[in-house]
Amino acid sequence: MQKIDLQQLIGNTLRWGVTIACIIAAIGGVIYLVQHGSEPMPDYTTFSYTDPACHPADYTTVDGIFSGIFSMNARSWIQLGVVALILTPVMRVILSFFDFIQERDWLYSLISAIVLSIIISNSIKGF
Amino acid sequence: MSILLFTLIMLAAAYGAGLLGSLTGLGGGVVVIPVLTLCFGVDFHYAVGAALVASIATSSGSGSAYVKEGITNIRLGMFLEIATAIGAVVGAIVAVYLNNNVIAIIFGCVLILTGTMQFVKKQDHTGIKGSEAARRLKLFGTWPQKDGSKQYYELKNVASGFSVMSIAGMLSGILGIGSGVLKVIAMDNLMKVPFKVSTTTSNFMIGVTACASAVVYIQRGNIVPGIACPVMIGVLFGALTGARLLKYLNVSLLRKIFAFAVFLVAANMIYMGVTGQF
Repeated sequence: MQKIDLQQLIGNTLRWGVTIACIIAAIGGVIYLVQHGSEPMPDYTTFSYTDPACHPADYTTVDGIFSGIFSMNARSWIQLGVVALILTPVMRVILSFFDFIQERDWLYSLISAIVLSIIISNSIKGF
Repeated sequence: MSILLFTLIMLAAAYGAGLLGSLTGLGGGVVVIPVLTLCFGVDFHYAVGAALVASIATSSGSGSAYVKEGITNIRLGMFLEIATAIGAVVGAIVAVYLNNNVIAIIFGCVLILTGTMQFVKKQDHTGIKGSEAARRLKLFGTWPQKDGSKQYYELKNVASGFSVMSIAGMLSGILGIGSGVLKVIAMDNLMKVPFKVSTTTSNFMIGVTACASAVVYIQRGNIVPGIACPVMIGVLFGALTGARLLKYLNVSLLRKIFAFAVFLVAANMIYMGVTGQF
């Protein structure tokens, strides 16, 4: 079987991930500024874990982000860019996992799987 | 202040943060937090979310260059990533119970350590006799030299390096910054990894560690789009410019100047934190 050059693929993944994340966030940013640019700056001086106003669904849940995308909600677009940015290093761990499997390095396939499962379980558990 | 003005100022500040962060190797988060909290009075819990975004952007942006050159020790990074990822998860849980003043004091302390380490002379380790644990974990590696040959290296003190990494992970879960300084202490000073290798491997780890806590922070609402957007775009372009400039600039003077600025910000953070002004 032809070995895939995963090092090359990892480098490209990082570059593409960052580029895509940046483009999506920039689209969101332009919509945001066109719609709200002249409004006064929102109050960022206090954050509360219990106040629902600090946790709008349009940028804190997957469902909220995706429904916001179709209604051209600026905040959802920006947050999709952030999600793409977060997924970039995760993709890198996934690719390394396959790289180790291809090298038949079972110890490091396991280690990458542990790292991946910590991130995934943390993202599902949320709070 | 209008949203447009705030966005433009943040974009410029984030560009500067990415530029300084990549030139000094400290990452963008270290600059983003003081700008948000001290200049705009933003709550630390939002600032930490923005710093996470900045950390991932710097790590991935500059990381794409390093992997291809084969300097990063992926095995070492992946193994230590278990410690930092668990630490980051714990840090993200702990952060909920910390008020702004406590976070400010912790951040100030990390800044002092960061500034101090800028003055510690880096020594390149050669001829290190590796430990048995490191050999079993296959952590020895090679890194390319300027003349195209490959330099082989061994390393040791796996357990203590692993422990320091879990603290580094916890701090980045609380503060959102890469805590590159602790990563360098663990790899460079304890495990005796060659400096070039520890820097790039640390950069690889910062992105993954930041992700482990970012997945929680984004669901809690700590990462707000209005701040995240200019920070992400600004830091990325700043880091790209920094990576280019790095080839032509002698950064040792810049690092020393930056270290003094870091001390001033740290003193300010700790003073305001102790007197409860956040």
